[in-house]
Amino acid sequence: MSPRRMLGPLVYGGLSLLAGLLFLLAASLWSDAGWGQRLGGAAWVAFLSLIVLMPVVIPWARRRSS
Amino acid sequence: MATRTDEREEPLQLTVPVEGMTCAACVNRVERALKRLPGVLDARVSLAAGRAGLEIDPSRVSLSTIAQAVAEAGYEVPLDTVRFHLPARGEAEAARIREALERLAGVVQAEVGPDGTVSVRYLRESIGPGRLKRALRELGYEVSERLAEEEGLDRERQARQQEIRRQFVNLLIVTPLAALVMLGMFHAYWPLSLFVPSWLGNRWLMLGLTTPIVLGPARQFFLRSISGLRHGVADMNLLYATGIGAAYLIALINTAWPEAGFGGRDATFYEAVAMLTLFIVLGRYLEALTRGRASEAIRRLMALQPQRARLLRDGQEIEVPADEVEVGDICLVRPGEAVPVDGVIVEGYSAVDESLVTGESLPAEKTAGDTVLAGTLNRTGAFKLRAVRVGRETTLAQIVRLVEEAQASRAPIQRLADWVAGHFILGVHLLALATFAFWFFYGYDRWFQPESRLLLSAGALGQMGAFGFAFLMSVTVLVISCPCAVGLATPAAVMAGTGIAASQGILFKGADAIEATARLQVIVFDKTGTLTQGRPSLTDVVALPGTTAEELLAWAAIAERRSEHPLGEAVLTGARERGLQPPEPQEFRALPGQGVEARLDGRTVILGNRRLMAEAGVDILPLEEQAQRLEEEGKTVVFVALDGRPLGLLAVADTPKPTAAQAAAELRRMGLQVAMLSGDNWRTARAIARSLGIEQVLAEVLPQGKAEALRQLQEQGLRVAMVGDGINDAPALAQADVGMAIGSGTDIAKETGHVILVRDDPLDVVAAIETARFTMKKVRENLAWAFVYNLVTLPVAAGVLYPLTGRMVGPEVAALLMALSSLSVSLNSASMRGWRPRRRSGPASPAPVAPRPLPQEVGR
Repeated sequence: MSPRRMLGPLVYGGLSLLAGLLFLLAASLWSDAGWGQRLGGAAWVAFLSLIVLMPVVIPWARRRSS
Repeated sequence: MATRTDEREEPLQLTVPVEGMTCAACVNRVERALKRLPGVLDARVSLAAGRAGLEIDPSRVSLSTIAQAVAEAGYEVPLDTVRFHLPARGEAEAARIREALERLAGVVQAEVGPDGTVSVRYLRESIGPGRLKRALRELGYEVSERLAEEEGLDRERQARQQEIRRQFVNLLIVTPLAALVMLGMFHAYWPLSLFVPSWLGNRWLMLGLTTPIVLGPARQFFLRSISGLRHGVADMNLLYATGIGAAYLIALINTAWPEAGFGGRDATFYEAVAMLTLFIVLGRYLEALTRGRASEAIRRLMALQPQRARLLRDGQEIEVPADEVEVGDICLVRPGEAVPVDGVIVEGYSAVDESLVTGESLPAEKTAGDTVLAGTLNRTGAFKLRAVRVGRETTLAQIVRLVEEAQASRAPIQRLADWVAGHFILGVHLLALATFAFWFFYGYDRWFQPESRLLLSAGALGQMGAFGFAFLMSVTVLVISCPCAVGLATPAAVMAGTGIAASQGILFKGADAIEATARLQVIVFDKTGTLTQGRPSLTDVVALPGTTAEELLAWAAIAERRSEHPLGEAVLTGARERGLQPPEPQEFRALPGQGVEARLDGRTVILGNRRLMAEAGVDILPLEEQAQRLEEEGKTVVFVALDGRPLGLLAVADTPKPTAAQAAAELRRMGLQVAMLSGDNWRTARAIARSLGIEQVLAEVLPQGKAEALRQLQEQGLRVAMVGDGINDAPALAQADVGMAIGSGTDIAKETGHVILVRDDPLDVVAAIETARFTMKKVRENLAWAFVYNLVTLPVAAGVLYPLTGRMVGPEVAALLMALSSLSVSLNSASMRGWRPRRRSGPASPAPVAPRPLPQEVGR
């Protein structure tokens, strides 16, 4: 995959991962839930973030690279 | 470029069918894919019609590029294939044939095999086999019978049938499996505990029962969402896939590793996975059934097109496919047969049933010189016709095209719905995210009660952890939302409305025309030819004592025998209708601005106005009172004198159409203002308006002033419709908020105006407004339902009622609600099918489709 085509996946992948990590951090600080639940929550948040970000980021990345 | 057109410089309007779209997000995806193509000037995609209306620069974009872009977006442009056989040709000739065919608008690809087989892929909406065959003939090739034809009568119907079959098979798979999963899930509860074995509740068995559901019937949602996400688009399938996939994954984890911390052994969502899939598939199945019915109007019209025609060539009768009839061919039509092309009868007489094409309920009498339309049914006698319009030019084909375009268009009211539907899916995912975070961090600790239950479920939530609880809420939000209803609300109703209207001979040129028609406040009729017959006729014969009416009329007819003036024609027609056969005068003289003078057997008859009588020294005083009364009624009066002695007078007027007064009364009853616009003098115009019960009259308006008169009404804040002739009144029709071209008959393509009334009946104006109002009522109902449903259910799914009730909506109930919501919009629109405008059953017009003359003023 060329660097131009990598832009989109890098952005939405990175941001989703960041959202998941932020959830994990917040859960560690403010929630009594166990690690399994925290990790599951982080995965779910990252997944939903991915779905929200992909349709926004992909057209933006396409416009940028064209 | 693979496909070119005959007119490369001009932007080309193109309607392309698109298969595989399921929701408003699909519409956006296809629209975006098309608009990105260089050379596509505009693209409007309709979900209900399954079509894309395009404006393209044919020199920059080809049909094959368009089809490819649609395919890359995850959908399909269905193409037909036809094969011809030519004598085997060399490589050079094959290239020439290929190039010539690919030059035609609508041809995607042409291939010429070494054995002379020409295979053409084409878009049925743009071109037909007959035109392809003609192109080959023009190249000098004798085309023999087609070897094979894969075009199919109706690809759209086939696709829908496939979808119905596919979802039915899915239902057959998912229903028994879901039933077993539900039995297993609730086996411990009475009365199931009495007869359901406990082993059916084994988690591994339920995993075994649920997995085929996910990999089978639910697979379609995953495939479509992945395809969409790869193109950066979220659609309905994504909501389903996320919901089903997440529930399945958690169930799998809690079965295999109950200690993982996701709610434990009891927090499996197998029943949610099974019921979600069942309800969504059921919804899809029912929707495919109902949505197919919405486009029946087009199919019915298309089905009218006869497949075969009998041609008379060199005195021989031969049968050919109807699409191969060419202009000028003589066709034979026998009783009971459908007319194959538009044409003029050259021999024979019959009654022709035009109801399916024009909405005219009574069969029309047709004889030599009359026009007959393709698709109409010959009832009684046999006749020969000369083909005038063939293939895509026939009135029927034009009507089909107009209705297709209207169904693919978008009403202004849809803009909000489109915007909402376009952003809906992302919004719902954000809401799901927020719901999850809220219940995980705050709501669970604050309000969770272990004894609380899911709605319509016996089982308590038990020791479900924060993750399981928040996750359940989050999935429910995804599943309960129904953007489909929002996206489908307007196009489904518009499609049904345009279909109903078309079957009545009323053609709306777009969804915006329907919306504008429904909101009208003033209807302005052009007088001549719209409310009146458009030609003068003899209304009164007043003879002086000593002269009979017959004698008076006979002399008047002799005087007018050679006249070419419309008034003369009216007198002659009146005399003939009363059984008189006037002889030819020996001398005739037209006196411009005064009348005529004729001589027969030494006697001189003059017919004309007061000035002529005064110059001839004829005393008309005894007739003056009658003359003034008739003139007050808007009639034109002429005096008749024989050898200097007055015989009497005749009155001529343009008479109202039989249904004009009824139409005006109906419109007023519907709360509309009715006005009449005329080029006539005020006295004549007022007299006609009075006889029709119309109070607002705009008289002495020149043709170029009609648009200005309408503008003045619009400046008062009124929404105005102009009803008139589509060709003569074009500027006024364009100025009006809604231009209604009435009595266009066979010349639909030439018409301006937003609404075309094929017949020549003012009651069709009433029918058009009734249909538009009914359609918009359905649109509003659909939109209200779709918005209210989502506004109410989304917060409930997010758990706003849980703190108060201790109950929450489970994903399976959410799926049921979602399927019902989507289905209710489709059913509400489908329920329009049986509706017909009330006022459409009025008396039939005397000459439903005949073109008519339009004299603006009568008089000398």
